[in-house]
Amino acid sequence: MNELEIMIETHDLRRTFGTKEAVAGISFTARHGEIFGLLGPNGAGKTTTIRMLTGQIDPTSGHAIVAGCDVVKDHTRLKERIGVVFEEQNLYERLSARNNLRFSCWLYGLPESRVDEVLQLVHLRDRAKDPVRAYSNGMKQRLMIARALLHRPPMLFLDEPSKGLDPISAREVRQAIQHLCQEGTTILLTTHLMEEADQLCRRVAFIVNGHIVANDTPRNLKLSHGQKAMTVILDQPEQGQNGNAPLSEVTLSLDNPADAERLARLMAQGHVRAIHSREATLEEVFIEVAGISLV
Amino acid sequence: MHPRSILAIARKDALDILLNKTTLSLLLTPIVLALLFLLIANLLGGHTTNALIYDPGRSSVEQVLKSAYPDLKITYANSSGDVAAAFGPDGSHKTTAYALGLAVPAGFDASLSSGGHPRLNFYVDGSQVSNQQSQLLLSALTNTSRGIANPQPPATITVATVNPPSQNALLNINQFYAAAVLMSSLLVGTTLVPGILAEEKEKRTLRMLMVSPASYSDVVAGKLLVGLVYQLLLAALVLVINGGFTGQVPLVLLFALLGSFFSVTLGLLLGSFFQTTSSAGAAAGMLSMIYIIPIFFVGTFAQLFGNNPFTTIVKVLPPYYIADGVINALTNQSTTTGTALDVGVVLGCIVLLLLVATWLLRRQAAVVSTI
Repeated sequence: MNELEIMIETHDLRRTFGTKEAVAGISFTARHGEIFGLLGPNGAGKTTTIRMLTGQIDPTSGHAIVAGCDVVKDHTRLKERIGVVFEEQNLYERLSARNNLRFSCWLYGLPESRVDEVLQLVHLRDRAKDPVRAYSNGMKQRLMIARALLHRPPMLFLDEPSKGLDPISAREVRQAIQHLCQEGTTILLTTHLMEEADQLCRRVAFIVNGHIVANDTPRNLKLSHGQKAMTVILDQPEQGQNGNAPLSEVTLSLDNPADAERLARLMAQGHVRAIHSREATLEEVFIEVAGISLV
Repeated sequence: MHPRSILAIARKDALDILLNKTTLSLLLTPIVLALLFLLIANLLGGHTTNALIYDPGRSSVEQVLKSAYPDLKITYANSSGDVAAAFGPDGSHKTTAYALGLAVPAGFDASLSSGGHPRLNFYVDGSQVSNQQSQLLLSALTNTSRGIANPQPPATITVATVNPPSQNALLNINQFYAAAVLMSSLLVGTTLVPGILAEEKEKRTLRMLMVSPASYSDVVAGKLLVGLVYQLLLAALVLVINGGFTGQVPLVLLFALLGSFFSVTLGLLLGSFFQTTSSAGAAAGMLSMIYIIPIFFVGTFAQLFGNNPFTTIVKVLPPYYIADGVINALTNQSTTTGTALDVGVVLGCIVLLLLVATWLLRRQAAVVSTI
């Protein structure tokens, strides 16, 4: 597969539960080898979207192709080509990690030697014999990733992979995700953690009340909604101009030639300690675009 | 349905059941019960009555003791003094190895027949023989002696017995135990299957299975399979422990098989109703009585209750026909008609349960991914 190949393609995908429209016509694509983020607050429709794309529930209308399989008509083939890591932990807690994975090998008809390979991948091989109930949340999450990877799916769905994890565990999970992407796995990631999406995703879509309100790379989104300015930190206050008080931090516009001269002057004086971009964070972009917060 | 998925789920559950303390206790309970019944049977049924008899002429009165105690073990003494010495004087306290003693003089029968009045010494250990039994034996010995002295009875008495009891009914106690533990073991399937089905929903692992090659039908079939295997193994084990492979063994096995199928299909029906392990367990617990009660309304025990409304109610329960078939097979009292009725009712119930459970589970399958 090459990078141009489309792994997910949805057209006006909708899902209604009774009178409530959880997903109200979303269309997007995800290409081979990229991490595509679906960002939104709780109840936005992220999990419902994943359920439709993984064949757990059928769309009310619209269609979707995932890894070359129609999500409605090709259930059997779809299941062979996707891996899913759920938001909630759903491991067999009394069984050991090894037996959890052996069970998945039996389901997929894989050799049991694959168990050691994936355990090595997620750094759990030395704890393979321990019952899962003795695992930390981070270890359980890594085990679920390992389980999803057993059958080498070209497409992986991760639903809130860092939820409930401490920072160290969350970082381990993100490193694992990045490693998978480098190996060619296409990943659709749902999260309400903007930093995570910013760090991992090549492209993101903002979903609010079942609608996609933005769909672009994090960089483009931040550039199109941020300020074209920079903050310059000084190691001593700049001499106040026009009788104003001295400043240890100044904001300069990127479009203003006078500010460019001012920057050059400050740098020549050797007082500049740091320069920070005033581009928007993804969260700020989301709030501006969606009009709501992520909580 | 995919055999690979079904077997995978069955294998996983087979291991998980043993790791789960609750289900492991459930599996061990019938085995413990069987061992308990075995112990009781050995304590109650293994008793041998020992008698010390001096009877050089082999009198007819000796037969009284043999008729009263089919398990009588007779030791023949060399003299009447030996018998007297083994028991001691009347009212004395002595530890003796014999429950009964009899010292019959030589030529006892001939002396009675010729009008003589020979002396017979009868000894009883009051700690092994009740007063009532002792009086009955004395009466029997007296009547036998009278009969020898005057073979012509003073009156002719005819006896007509209707609904005669089974001969040696008490000897069926071991078979009763075997039937009882088999019936109680059938509770395992009814409790196990809904529990392991509900747990997949509770623990959210069912959702994981729905994105694997397994279908909901595979999940259900896998749990039914593991429930059936464990149920059959348990049934066989408790029969072995309690000597249940007696009588008409093929029929015993047939009813054990039918009972196991009935048990797991009833469990499947419960699993289709209840979504949590606690509710499924509670329902199974309440249903446990349908396996226990019928035991007391079949075989010898049925004669105790006779025909009353409660008996009629019990006969509505499918396990009644399993119990009936098992006890008749164990005691060699099966008839073609009776067996056909028992098999027919149980088989019909199994099919009905399966159809209803399948219908309910199909409705569930449509929404299982939203669980």
